[in-house]
Amino acid sequence: MPVYVDVLRCIGCKACEVACKREHNGKPHIAVLPAEGRAAVPLLCHHCKDATCALVCYSGALTTDGDRVSFDAAKCTGCGICALACPFGVIWSDKLAHKCDLCYPAELPSCVATCPAQALSTDYDVVSRRVRYKAAQASVIEGKRSI
Amino acid sequence: MISMDSSRCLGCFACSNVCPSVKITREDGEQRVIRFSRCEEFCDLCVEFCPGEALSISPEGEDFQISFELIPCRACHTPFATRPMLRRIIEVVPEELQKDSEGISWVEICPRCRREMERERAARPAVRSRM
Amino acid sequence: MPRSTVSTVCPYCAVGCGLQITTERGVATGIEYNPQHPVSHGALCPKGNASLEVINNKDRLTFPMKKVGDIWARISWEEALDLVGQRLSKALRDWGPESLGFLASSKCTNEENYLIEKLARTIGSRNVDNCARLCHAPSVVGLNRSLGAAGMTNPIPDLANSRCIFIIGSNLAENHPVITQWIHRAKDAGAVVIVADPRYTPTAWLADIFLQIRPGTDVALLNAMARLIIDEGWIDEKFIAARTTGYTGLVEALKGCSAEWAEGICGIPAQRIFQSAEAYALSPASSIVYSMGITQHTTGTDNVQALANLALICGQLGREGTGVLPLRGQNNVQGACDMGALAEFYPGYRPADDPATVESFSMAWDAQSLPLGRGLTAPEMIDGANDGRIKAMYIVGEDPVNSESNSRHVKEALSSLEFLVVQDIFMTSTSQLADLVLPAACWAEKEGTFTSTERRVQWTNLAVRPPGEARSDLWIVCEVANRMGLNFDYAGAEEVLSEINRTVPAYRGVTRSRLNATGIIWPCPNQDHPGTPILHIEAFKTMDGRGRILPVSFRHPAEGPSDEFPFTLTTGRIAVHHNAGSMTRRSPSLAEREPEPFAEINPMDARRLGISQGEMVNVTTARGMMEALARISERVPSGVVFMPFHFPGANILTSGARDEVAGIPEFKVAACNIARRD
Repeated sequence: MPVYVDVLRCIGCKACEVACKREHNGKPHIAVLPAEGRAAVPLLCHHCKDATCALVCYSGALTTDGDRVSFDAAKCTGCGICALACPFGVIWSDKLAHKCDLCYPAELPSCVATCPAQALSTDYDVVSRRVRYKAAQASVIEGKRSI
Repeated sequence: MISMDSSRCLGCFACSNVCPSVKITREDGEQRVIRFSRCEEFCDLCVEFCPGEALSISPEGEDFQISFELIPCRACHTPFATRPMLRRIIEVVPEELQKDSEGISWVEICPRCRREMERERAARPAVRSRM
Repeated sequence: MPRSTVSTVCPYCAVGCGLQITTERGVATGIEYNPQHPVSHGALCPKGNASLEVINNKDRLTFPMKKVGDIWARISWEEALDLVGQRLSKALRDWGPESLGFLASSKCTNEENYLIEKLARTIGSRNVDNCARLCHAPSVVGLNRSLGAAGMTNPIPDLANSRCIFIIGSNLAENHPVITQWIHRAKDAGAVVIVADPRYTPTAWLADIFLQIRPGTDVALLNAMARLIIDEGWIDEKFIAARTTGYTGLVEALKGCSAEWAEGICGIPAQRIFQSAEAYALSPASSIVYSMGITQHTTGTDNVQALANLALICGQLGREGTGVLPLRGQNNVQGACDMGALAEFYPGYRPADDPATVESFSMAWDAQSLPLGRGLTAPEMIDGANDGRIKAMYIVGEDPVNSESNSRHVKEALSSLEFLVVQDIFMTSTSQLADLVLPAACWAEKEGTFTSTERRVQWTNLAVRPPGEARSDLWIVCEVANRMGLNFDYAGAEEVLSEINRTVPAYRGVTRSRLNATGIIWPCPNQDHPGTPILHIEAFKTMDGRGRILPVSFRHPAEGPSDEFPFTLTTGRIAVHHNAGSMTRRSPSLAEREPEPFAEINPMDARRLGISQGEMVNVTTARGMMEALARISERVPSGVVFMPFHFPGANILTSGARDEVAGIPEFKVAACNIARRD
């Protein structure tokens, strides 16, 4: 159950970054990057089914745990190999690895709870339905002389 | 004292991170240099946490250092990782997972560039639909 | 002491998001989201998320200070309050009540604004105003003329019921981010969103039709839309006949306003103007959302009236999903105006130049010699300080040096005062000029009501005690008033609110016991009334109940590009900062995201001037120069430079030209030049 992102809804305000940073002692797990001069893309751990970070982790700090990749800070040595093994570049490390923990055990990640644009969701169905609907709508608007 | 089997060292950050008395330092430039100062503490954290099992307690020893060439990113050419660390990834991660959704092998691309690629992948369809 | 959670209202913009603060041992340690809040549904923007960094900030003022020579000396509250009382009384004696100026605060509660305004008028001064002058004075004047009421006609969540949302001169995605979720809901249901802005803002990202308009040409666009709507027969004839006056005058006045004429002025293709007019006029429910891009012009009042005309001829008012929605900037700017902290209005928008107003407040307040007539507005008080008419000022929670246009002029004026007392939570560029600085409590350290942009009155609770000797503005104002021979004997905000219930008809039913988690939207005329989310359902608030269609004609902005200043400078806000920045620039998680002033410039212009990304440039206008980092971006068109005004200095550049009716300065258009720093 990762956090799904709807780029069409994201306004790049960075509320998620600030909230995540506050919830994780100053170390944010999400970053909002501008794209193509108009869009903004929040990037964070996908909680991959075949998590390469967990495969390479020496200490057992990163493990696949049901539908999430969980992280046990007590086991982490900060060796940094997980950051090198993440295909999406969304893990970073200093003395410890930092990546989205879904604000476990909270019911809802703080980024999802706080997003002013409802661009983040833990429900894939919500995001995919919206994206499909938007694509259809966009073509309808273009197709007409006026609306 | 600490001694090292340099053939087993990955050039990672574990020992320098866990050392409570700042006897192990590291420096990244063209190369990564890890320096071990003489240490007489009764502590074996670095030995315990070394992922490559390269360190051991020994009766005597001097200051020493080890350096690694950093592999440049295939996209931006910035040096970013030691060869043993990348080798570990190539060995452990199944081959089909070493390619992203567009079939690009990501292992020798630095995390920063991977993130940029991920950003582009996510943004492109959205931007196209808003044009 | 156990952990507890206290409900407050976010101190930043006027959306009025619920903000729950968790405290441990008397310290604010965390934020909880409130999915039950009627407007925010648990959402907070980056500023709200970082708001604890304001409460716990090391720069907070914690004791009163007096300027002795060039240094600040700590003094006791007793001494400080006596000094304020003596100096204001002396000015009153020596130069009369008109020599005193009061700036109330759109950051303070309704109760505090009410008392500041009451203090000013009870001692006989008409000069009380607040920074609404700098954001929505044209809305107050323009919408009062057209519709008879100045507030948002429909509440924020009602945007979800719109099928066409026309956003003009508002970058709400950055300035009121939490509103975005309601825009998305409307879009999910098939609404068309039109955004008109000189920049491709994050709000433009929400648009189905984007109109990239030249700064200061809004009247041309709006008139052309109205003309198309009339020509194409898209008007709502029944609505015009039953509920408006002045339609034929509009038809006459718009004769020259073709879409092609507007294209030449605004730079928007006529075809797109046509599309927008059609979408707005024909959708079953259309709303207009606007903000400072409409008001901060010499034509601010005209712009507002042109918008109202559009809504009136299309009948897009008084129903769900319709309306004219001016988004206000500060958390309580609506309330400060409702409370009469405005030069032309007593509480409840009772005209200050009406003898009946004075008579009724003389009774209510048991006061003799309340002043009749309009006082000086905030910019006029600054002028007055400069030419010696104003001798002493009491500024509460505002930073005119950074927030007014033409900062240098403001600084000179404030420095020339006989006495200046500033009450704030931080040292600001304005308080630096004061004789006396009083430390105030921030929003989480006091209680009372805030009125959000949608007229929702919400009670905010005390979560933590103020730091050091800081005190609530309410306590301070009462102590000052008592030292000037008045009797401001209020036990707390609740007692002031019950006086407001008696004196402001729209707030009559907004009593403390009824202010639960969702608040009440005024007008609320009695204790059993549920509040009025949608205005103008049956009739407008004008004398005859009809909406006034008031034609306006296009005028150019006060400053056009010249050989010396070939670019157009426009200013605005960004998501991680707020207004003059005294709070957000001190908040590490916000400041680290945008630490420095920048000037956005189009890549073509940058290439021509040899300016590269991230280098320091000088931005110059007729009034001064400011350094900023060049941010080369397609967001701005060629010929336009955008700068955020959160950093000291941006308003050195802006123009002092004002809207003649509403007195608002033209922040949005100034002729400028931009060059590499050699």
